[in-house]
Amino acid sequence: MKGSYKAKRTAGNVIAYIILILISIIWLFPFVGLVLQSFRSYATEYGGMVDYLVPKAFSLDNYKFLFDLSQTNYLLWYRNTIVIAFFVTLFQTIVVLCVSYALSRMRFTGRTFLMRFWLILGMFPGFLTMICLYFLLKQFGLTQAGAIPGLILVSVASSGMGYYVCKGYFDTIPKALDEAARIDGATRSKIFFVMTIPMSKPIIIYTALVAFMAPWCDYVFASYVAFGHDSSYNVAVGMTRWVWTNDYQGYFTRFCAGGVLVAIPVTLLFMFLQKYYVEGVTGGAVKG
Amino acid sequence: MKKKLVSVMLTTAMSAALLAGCGQQAAQEVAETATDAAETVAETATDAAETVADTAADATEAVAEDIDYGSGEVKVWVADNVVDFTNEQIAAFQAEHPEMSGYTFTVEAVGEGDAAGNMITDVEAGADIYAFAQDQIARLVTAGALEVVEDSNAEAIKAQNDAGAVGAATVGGTLYAYPLTSDNGYFLYYDKSVVTDPSTLEGIVADCEAAGKNFYFEINSGWYQTAFFFGTGAELTYDTDDAGNFTKCNSTYASDAGVVALKEIAELASSKAFQNGSAISNATNVGAIVDGTWDAQAAKDLFGDNYACAKLPTFEGADGKTYQMSGFGGFKLLGVKPQEDEGKLAVCDALAAYLSSEEVQLARYNAVGWGPSNLNAQQSDAVKADEALSALADQLQYTIPQGQYPGDYWSLATSLGDSIIAGEITAASSDDDFMKALTDFQATCESYAQ
Amino acid sequence: MAQGTDNKKTGALSEFFKAFGRGFKDIGVTFAEGDWKTKLSYLIFGFGPLLRGQFVTGAALLACEALFIWFMTGFGWKYLSKIATLGTVATKKVGRKTVYGDNSFLILLFGVLAIFAVIALIAVWYINIRVNRKEELILKSGKKLPSNRDVIASLFDKNFDKTLLALPVTGIFIFTVLPIVFMILVAFTNYDKNHQSPTNLFTWVGFENFKNLVSFSGAGIGSTFVHVLLWTLVWAFFATFTNYFLGLAVAMLINKKGIKFQKLWRTILVMTIAVPQFVSLLYVMKMFANDGLINGYLLKWGIIKNYIPFWTDPVLARITIIVVNIWIGIPYMMLIATGLLMNIPEDLYESARIDGANPWQMFRSITLPYMLFVTGPFLLTQFTGNLNNFNVIYLLTQGKPQSVNLAEKAGNTDLLITWLYKMTVNDTNYRMAAVIGIMVFVVTAVISLVVYNMLPSVRDEEGFQ
Repeated sequence: MKGSYKAKRTAGNVIAYIILILISIIWLFPFVGLVLQSFRSYATEYGGMVDYLVPKAFSLDNYKFLFDLSQTNYLLWYRNTIVIAFFVTLFQTIVVLCVSYALSRMRFTGRTFLMRFWLILGMFPGFLTMICLYFLLKQFGLTQAGAIPGLILVSVASSGMGYYVCKGYFDTIPKALDEAARIDGATRSKIFFVMTIPMSKPIIIYTALVAFMAPWCDYVFASYVAFGHDSSYNVAVGMTRWVWTNDYQGYFTRFCAGGVLVAIPVTLLFMFLQKYYVEGVTGGAVKG
Repeated sequence: MKKKLVSVMLTTAMSAALLAGCGQQAAQEVAETATDAAETVAETATDAAETVADTAADATEAVAEDIDYGSGEVKVWVADNVVDFTNEQIAAFQAEHPEMSGYTFTVEAVGEGDAAGNMITDVEAGADIYAFAQDQIARLVTAGALEVVEDSNAEAIKAQNDAGAVGAATVGGTLYAYPLTSDNGYFLYYDKSVVTDPSTLEGIVADCEAAGKNFYFEINSGWYQTAFFFGTGAELTYDTDDAGNFTKCNSTYASDAGVVALKEIAELASSKAFQNGSAISNATNVGAIVDGTWDAQAAKDLFGDNYACAKLPTFEGADGKTYQMSGFGGFKLLGVKPQEDEGKLAVCDALAAYLSSEEVQLARYNAVGWGPSNLNAQQSDAVKADEALSALADQLQYTIPQGQYPGDYWSLATSLGDSIIAGEITAASSDDDFMKALTDFQATCESYAQ
Repeated sequence: MAQGTDNKKTGALSEFFKAFGRGFKDIGVTFAEGDWKTKLSYLIFGFGPLLRGQFVTGAALLACEALFIWFMTGFGWKYLSKIATLGTVATKKVGRKTVYGDNSFLILLFGVLAIFAVIALIAVWYINIRVNRKEELILKSGKKLPSNRDVIASLFDKNFDKTLLALPVTGIFIFTVLPIVFMILVAFTNYDKNHQSPTNLFTWVGFENFKNLVSFSGAGIGSTFVHVLLWTLVWAFFATFTNYFLGLAVAMLINKKGIKFQKLWRTILVMTIAVPQFVSLLYVMKMFANDGLINGYLLKWGIIKNYIPFWTDPVLARITIIVVNIWIGIPYMMLIATGLLMNIPEDLYESARIDGANPWQMFRSITLPYMLFVTGPFLLTQFTGNLNNFNVIYLLTQGKPQSVNLAEKAGNTDLLITWLYKMTVNDTNYRMAAVIGIMVFVVTAVISLVVYNMLPSVRDEEGFQ
């Protein structure tokens, strides 16, 4: 009886391994393809689409192209994206912490109204407001040449509405701790800075990680705000043109190379901080 | 992108003689020299430059006294691969016009497709001078993103460019843009080792099928589609008024000719060699592709020794008759945005006229291979010897110059093409189905004209 | 249950009106009973507090008034005065020079901003009155007013919420609320490619755009709207539940007893979360193209004779999108499920196993109920998120293939959100885009409301509280 159970389980595990290996292949295939294409030689094999996977000759042509500022602004776009990601991460984390703390720990008039109102606001599609945001930013000179601070401003300004996960985390910190500190004469701000924040390392890292990853994908709004000014594009805006616009013949392998360079830092960071990410999304999922 | 520096320098020298404001005669002189053999061009050009120098100086002085151009920034949008070229030309322009030294010029890479969309989103933040494909002109006029070409420039443009290009730049009865190229048409690139006889569509498709290669034809584009419709004699044109509004649609798509054309498209789409598309860099395993001159270099790289091009093929319609494929002859244009400052407008006018002048067109051909719209430049030996351009020239006799079409037409045509590719309309559909699709199509086309 | 919430709602509503009434009474009573300082404060904000030595409060109130006057005289009034017509002065030519007339866009935008400013001013005015009243009452009762230092200190203690929320709320107001109100109003104008600022004016047209949306004849886009809406719902349903169940399955597979390298498997899967979508999805799009890698190899190996039209056949395109979305979505669900599965007490399974339950039965009666209960709200947010899942659709197909049967350039795989985007960016058809946007909101809100009230976890929590 026991033996057959064990045999069954071994058989089950074998099947499980086979499925897992299959899944891994499917999941990794596009990335392997991306990397292989990025090494296809531009000079000898042409930079456009081909219908085979493994290049006939490997070369660094495409990477050399990306690093040559006389030919492309890729490095500028890359720098822009890092700058945007950095500041958005910094300010967004601060804003989210402030809002979450206020909503989790303090009781004030209009609290529930504010939460409901933001919930409803979140149901409007963001693109609707693009043109309006564009002209608002233009009033402050934050489009085209000033697009980078403009993009940071818009991301940070509306980030207060993404407080759910963080507030959920604060809710789990016992209120008794706060009250004890208040009896000892600590002010609200002291409690926030000295007690709550140090206890919230996982959620801070989660918030920062999510904030950092978003600007790398921002194509829609960034292209709308920065149009006609190549040096203030971000990587997504600059590079999608290589795929979508016919002016860029033979840029496909360069796109792949650029994509690999974009993916590396984000992926590394993500792998490194994966534990916190899991904690955040799991908590968020349960809270809704 | 390697530039042919020598030729650029040559032409800059020539154009130095030949600015807006110079007499017609000087233009003629230089133009004549341009048709001479290449070696002699340099000398004659310098001669010409010298001879005109005096009159030109007089003219510019007079102008400079009258107008204070002020200062400011002029933004120029051109396609990515001519950014460097345009910068060089602007440098030459500036050297020629010290009286406009208050202006700085910046060139940005904005594709001809994106330019119109971006201009319309925010005219004020858009470029002062921008290149665009002609299908956008009516839309740009309606949105107030194009200034009328100044009278004296307009006369020169009409005299010096081919009639099709002038027509493309005209909305209603008004000239709104400066023609840049006359090469926005399409023809056949093919692999000599695959396609043995490029003269019939059936032959090309059979050869590609046999070799397991792809034949690319972008049938879901309103631009390429017309090769079939115009080929069988169906018509589709629009009349416009001066404000860019469409007043009338002249269409005979819902006819026997239209049915033959649509059937042929469906027939082509049913081939296993058929692929929808017209960009060489996005194409794989290519046997033949219908594409334009802008892809000439990419085609050469792709096909290598087997590179060849030809006019579009003929096809045998379902009614048993043989038709020559037609299509659009199209043009690239340069537009100037309306300005709130007259001095700046004058600068923009002058620069646009300069960038679309014969010399710069020729230089542009030498640098990036764009076929000129200027009549004299078209006659130059280098242009005449160009394989892709001569295939295009062969094709041009069968095409009609592309007039003005509403933006909605292009997407309607995409829908028609997509419906064929998706198999909503197939080669096996009945004539009634074809007729119904075309009647709807024509009715919708007509609804775009008020 | 439903009645209970209804009562609560009407209660809240009458409470609101009562508060409103109290407010008016406050204003009257304060004026009648107040001293001259208070009375003057009705015109000059913060006058009373300033004279009573409350410099911080007084100066803040006065600054608000000054800011309002500065804004209105310099900027706001110019636009607000024209909001009824959205401008009448047309653009004209003087010589060759262009003289722009009224800019309808800016009139609408800053007109709305000015209206908000007026509302804000009234609110500050009311606060100003309350402050005066409070100070008078404190003084009357013989107590001392709090010092200026106390007032500032309270911003970091008792009133810390105001400090924390001031900037975020302002930011959301300017960059979210204002634009949304603006776009809702655009739905009632004729702002489109023929009425484009600054060259052309646009104006109010009432409900014309909404009529166009529900008109099923001629040029109306009613049938296209229904078509796109249906696909949006179908897509959201499949995208949510395929990911949910497959993600759960993969998580259970990795968690299975005896499976080694759990971390490795998870890491491989989460690559799709880490790599920016515009890179991975654009590559996948090319991979599945008619002339792409997949078709290329299948043809080469002779498995198929003709290429498979992954993106160009309407039905196949939809299926491919959902499949690719599984590739994107499974890892996310897998991460969540992994954490939650560990929370299920192991002895539940043990006792089930002793009772002779097979794995499927255990899944049906233990795992699934637990997961559904815990992740109910998550499923809802996933669903509404998928309704608006722009990236996957736009990067893969851009809504194509189009069809002669669909109006306004809609494609067979267009969601409402991608359709809206194309209208805005490619067509500058802002008026219809605004209408579609409002519809997206209505759909999202209705679904959220209905489903939320049906969720078991929500109901139980209410009972529990």
